[in-house]
Amino acid sequence: MTKLHLMLRRDFLRNLVITTGGLVVAPSLLSACGTSASSTGELVIGTPTNPTKLPSNGEAIADGLTEEKGTLEILNWADYTNPEVIADFEKLFGVTVKTSIYDTEESAIAKLRNGTFKPDLVIGLTDTVLARLSAAKLLQPINKSYIPHFSNLIDGLQNPYYDVDSQFTVANVIYANGIAYRTDRIDGSTFTSGNGYDAMWDAAHKGKLAVLDSYRDTISLAMFQAGLNDVNTSDADVLAAAKENLIRLRDATNPKVDIISYQELPAGNRDIAYTWSGDVLTALGYLPDGTSPETLGFWYPDQTITANDFYCIPKESKAPVLAHKFIDYILDTDVALKNQSYVGYQPALSTITVDNLLANGTIPESLKDSLVTPVKYASGQRLVSLSPDADALWLDVWATFTAG
Amino acid sequence: MKKSPRIWPALAAPGASWLLTLFGIPFYAVACVAFGTIDPIFRDAVPQWNPLSWNFGQAHDVLTSVLSGPLQGVFLRTITYVIAAMILSFAIGFPVAYFLARHAGKRKLLLLTLVIVPFWVNYLMRMLAWVNLLSSEGLFTRFMGIFDVHYNWLDGSPITVVLGLVYGYVPFLILPMYATLERLDWRLVEAARDLGANSRQAFRLVTIPMAQAGMAAAAILIALPMFGDYYTNDLLSRSPRTEMLGNQIDFYVNNSQQPQRGAVLVLILSALLLVALSWYLRSTSRYAKERVK
Repeated sequence: MTKLHLMLRRDFLRNLVITTGGLVVAPSLLSACGTSASSTGELVIGTPTNPTKLPSNGEAIADGLTEEKGTLEILNWADYTNPEVIADFEKLFGVTVKTSIYDTEESAIAKLRNGTFKPDLVIGLTDTVLARLSAAKLLQPINKSYIPHFSNLIDGLQNPYYDVDSQFTVANVIYANGIAYRTDRIDGSTFTSGNGYDAMWDAAHKGKLAVLDSYRDTISLAMFQAGLNDVNTSDADVLAAAKENLIRLRDATNPKVDIISYQELPAGNRDIAYTWSGDVLTALGYLPDGTSPETLGFWYPDQTITANDFYCIPKESKAPVLAHKFIDYILDTDVALKNQSYVGYQPALSTITVDNLLANGTIPESLKDSLVTPVKYASGQRLVSLSPDADALWLDVWATFTAG
Repeated sequence: MKKSPRIWPALAAPGASWLLTLFGIPFYAVACVAFGTIDPIFRDAVPQWNPLSWNFGQAHDVLTSVLSGPLQGVFLRTITYVIAAMILSFAIGFPVAYFLARHAGKRKLLLLTLVIVPFWVNYLMRMLAWVNLLSSEGLFTRFMGIFDVHYNWLDGSPITVVLGLVYGYVPFLILPMYATLERLDWRLVEAARDLGANSRQAFRLVTIPMAQAGMAAAAILIALPMFGDYYTNDLLSRSPRTEMLGNQIDFYVNNSQQPQRGAVLVLILSALLLVALSWYLRSTSRYAKERVK
């Protein structure tokens, strides 16, 4: 099973989009800043401090309808749903599930916008594109009467800041940023004595260290290490400091900048990597035969980024009831566990806890910190969309870092 | 019956149409993206089709970065890597082509096929295979260990990237070199020997000048894709220390919200390649004139 596309997706998840959190930015305003508007509507973007109820877009489907027969068309990342889970669903409802793949969120939006392809369900998009989907009126409201398992979601995601009341979305997986490492080469106490982030600047790991090929995440790493916590800043001085910090990291460790640490760590090609928690769970499947799962460790920093993605149903769905049923089906704890066994990433369910994952052997003790509890999820920083000007500042930092 | 001279330009029409459709228009579209704007909602490129309304803000920023900012290093590195890879490619490919053209005899076709066959495999797959071979537990690394050579090939080394480029593109040098050398009038070399030139002098003073046009074509053929290459670096290094221009274009076009910058870089790269292409055209034109004389 390859997770390359999944990881490419993860990369893109964080290449965040448009404007400042909690603001409504009309195209005309942006036009006045020198850009020409070619879309209509407005962006409504929620932040943890300013939760947002998205503009309505018609009525949800009525209660109590019978699910459609035939085919359920899903638009999904590659390898992002367990084929066995899909086969079980097909058998249970007597339907056929047809999956189309997207490799970036941009391409998913393009497919939804051009109208020639009309999927019934989209899996894996994030709040960073939600504002655009909403502005283009591409989604239909969710009718939660079809999703009794909705209550399995962790509290924070039953009413998320980016879509108050979960009008258009249902959360899928959660993850956090942290440091994955080889326990046979790095002592876990390195991270708990002093500033754990310092390990990423340790020249001892030169040539065996990686950061994420995602400018928002990796620049945030430099901020966290320096004790700066505003990961959505537009302050040029803060970003300049982060840039200097990243250059220091680059000079000390000659890092790899990619999203394949889930392969390279278990293969032994790396000692340490700044990555997403889901990657280290995925990495378990890449350990060579005979290598103990305890070889992999994960340090979950107190100050870090947490995130999630979601399910949503396009306005043009031809099988909306079936799409609702699929969401409900996969929110069932047992089904979600089966899905995680293939995908790696952690379902956003309160019913899936560290204890039961340890108990059923899904994860080793050394990786228990990679799991995102509801408390951890709530306390994490969120990357929200930046204004074009702020985004340009971030990209300048990234260009300097990656230019070597 | 005397044919109208107009027939000759007319014969060029299909080719010209082809170029216009598949090169001219796309190139103009890239320029329109580079000097266009960004959709304020969807953050994708909005091409500005009217040249009178082109916005050169992003182009100015990128050009400044190329001349005196972070992209300067990327440009110089890319040029260095491509030149190094070209020299190595010639060092490897020229002797192979020379042997095939002059000394392979009846086995010429077989050997030529054997040179080419590995490259029927997809470039990406071949590079991924090298990633395995060069990894710390890879066969190649272990083999080199026998000779006490312990080198971390995949730690973001420029050597690995240059060797990857050579491996990827050397067959595209061998083929045109072989075609050139095979058609050379070797009697001229024999004449040079008869007139007292030793083998080195004959090679330097006769073979090389005669093969010059083919060498220029081969150099251009491999240099053009090398300049835009990003996946070799992606797969074999992925370190900022080896970042090439293609990687920056890939980033801006696919992973940033500023695709205009990627388009500007494409234009700058095209301008650079145009210089190389002009040199090639001048050198082949000069060579043709000399042959006529």
